[in-house]
Amino acid sequence: MPRQAPERWPIVGRTIPPLPANVAAAEPASRKDATMLNPDAVVPLEQQFLLSNLSPGRTQKRVALGMVVVLLIASCLIMGPLSGIRLGTINAFVAVYATAMFVTDSVTAVLLFAQFSILRSHAILVIASGYLFTALIIVLYILAFPGVLAPDALIGGVQTAAWLYVTWHTVFPLFVIAYALSKDNGPDSRLWQGSVRAALFWSVAWTTALAAAAGFLFARGNADLPRIMVDPLRFGPNWPYLVGAPIVAVCSSAIAALWLRRRSVLDLWLMVVMCLYLVEVPLSYYPAPVRFSTGWYSVRVVGFLSSSLVLAVLLYEITTLYARLLGAVRGQRREREARLLTGDAVAASMAHEMRQPLTAMVTTADAGFRFLNRDAPNVERAKEAFRRIAADGHRAGELVASIRANFRSDVTERTSFNLNELIQQALALGGSELQRHRVVVAAEPNWHVPAVSGNRVQLQQVLLNLIMNAVDAMAARSEPRVLTVSSEPSEGGRVKVSVADTGPGIEPADVDRIFNPLFSTKPGGMGMGLSICRAIVEAHDGRLWCSPNSPKGAVFQFTLPASAAVTAGA
Amino acid sequence: MVDPWPVDDHHIFLLDTQARIPARVRKLKISLTMTGRPPFLIAVVDDDQGILRSLEYLLESADYAVRLFASASELLDSPWLPELDCLISDVDMPGTDGFELVRLIRSSRPELAIILITGYPDRLAHLPPLGGSELRLFTKPFQGDELLQAVSAALANARK
Repeated sequence: MPRQAPERWPIVGRTIPPLPANVAAAEPASRKDATMLNPDAVVPLEQQFLLSNLSPGRTQKRVALGMVVVLLIASCLIMGPLSGIRLGTINAFVAVYATAMFVTDSVTAVLLFAQFSILRSHAILVIASGYLFTALIIVLYILAFPGVLAPDALIGGVQTAAWLYVTWHTVFPLFVIAYALSKDNGPDSRLWQGSVRAALFWSVAWTTALAAAAGFLFARGNADLPRIMVDPLRFGPNWPYLVGAPIVAVCSSAIAALWLRRRSVLDLWLMVVMCLYLVEVPLSYYPAPVRFSTGWYSVRVVGFLSSSLVLAVLLYEITTLYARLLGAVRGQRREREARLLTGDAVAASMAHEMRQPLTAMVTTADAGFRFLNRDAPNVERAKEAFRRIAADGHRAGELVASIRANFRSDVTERTSFNLNELIQQALALGGSELQRHRVVVAAEPNWHVPAVSGNRVQLQQVLLNLIMNAVDAMAARSEPRVLTVSSEPSEGGRVKVSVADTGPGIEPADVDRIFNPLFSTKPGGMGMGLSICRAIVEAHDGRLWCSPNSPKGAVFQFTLPASAAVTAGA
Repeated sequence: MVDPWPVDDHHIFLLDTQARIPARVRKLKISLTMTGRPPFLIAVVDDDQGILRSLEYLLESADYAVRLFASASELLDSPWLPELDCLISDVDMPGTDGFELVRLIRSSRPELAIILITGYPDRLAHLPPLGGSELRLFTKPFQGDELLQAVSAALANARK
């Protein structure tokens, strides 16, 4: 029977410390090797499922490009043929616009902060702070906008709202530039070392302080500020220099920075957002540099679009990722059950094979006993019976030998791979069992170990078997239950893997026979697991042994020779 | 009445029985001298030679005459079928399996004592209806004495 996997995502990336991507930085040569062997090898599994690492599909790129093109056409139309349309002053529009902007920007910020807490990437923290900043600036903007909440502005004067707009549209692109640049840092510095809470607290604090400072400055300094607005409605003649030019400059730089960096989903849509910011500039000023003109209203619509764009993409991606994750979990569970099933089938057929000679031996022994136990013991026939028993015993031995030979014959399926990867996969496969028995996993991969060559599936089985044995050994025991799986280079260019548990350990008397077929200390155990494990390891020219763990428990260790091709190439 | 021990040992073809013929003669002598009547004839069907031989030993230790067959069809084709007192058969065999063999034999010998042995304990859970007289099923490995007790009980039952 396949064990029922609990309805939970295996512990990948949680109990197991993530196998760090920074291996690559520390060891450029090993990265090259690993990448050649398996392109996925250096990307930890969980990173493939996070937005900022996801590269956009072709469709997404096309949609983004199409959106920019449509927007350019629309803004040309608004500045040209549609500029004659006159719209009245609707103060409520400003309030609705600002509220909507505030909500979408804050939600985006929250989602990005959440991503940061998982990914711990500086870049995400920066862009999340950027969204928080715009959300805060919008609050100040609505307070300063004349005629919305009060006949005049609630804070500041005629110039305040316009200067806040400038701040908003220049500082956010600066955040984007910072995001793009910090993304380019090495993988070591990209990972946040400190506590997530502290990082979140300080980001929010600094961003709030920045927004508050801007608000205070522009509200108090209204009279001293360069005059962008002639009056509450009309933009001044220096608007293109004081507002347009800085915005165009920073937005263009941001687009360039994003373009030069690796283009993930987030990068792509931030680029679109920056394009929308750029489009706002001519729309605001041409043909009429006046608030509540067609162009001005269009700018608000475009602004709302740019604000909700990343949010929409984040939500869409999260849903898609959820579906993908679900598929992956199901796939993994199916794979695991299939493995357990084949394992069971193999064990059952071997059990039957072993049962035949055993039955013959027991029955012949019974017969021999009866021959001797007669009133006139028939010694001749009893001797014959004992010879038979010995012959059947040899037959059973040959059976075991043929099972071993079977494992030896699988040379064709040998590939070269890194054992650390295999350890991670085995831990993931056993994840639900480990979690169910509340076993703490300490994975101690040594990233300097050379690759080994062999049958991946068989060695995977060995690891899984040793891990499951360890879990079974600890299951009956109270805390602490610690499973330590480590790899290290061993003498003679070999790789050593250790699976250590804190269970009751192995009786000294059992150490020699624990690898024997049919020997088991588990109730209901078949006694074939370790025997098969040893056969597999030995078929790979390796060695498998066990020793006591200190202070308690058992350590199973095996060594495998490094794959010849890689050693020669390194 | 056909002579129960003709010279053309059918199962000589099945197994290397070089060492067997003297044993058979000896056994006949023993059983005739001890009981004064021809022994019960028991057929054993199993595709595993080791099991066949061990059962031969066990049954001979209880003074039964034994015939060995490596498959159901060998038993069905043999001239021994009408002479059998008891049949011990494996369930899981290539070709005709134990259950099928029981059905086929029941048509001509509904009263025959039959004992089945199997390597798969869950066989006990779903036995197909086989009809006829009582049927015992043993799982490998079994206790020699228990099997012999079942044989003698089945023989006594059939004799009634």
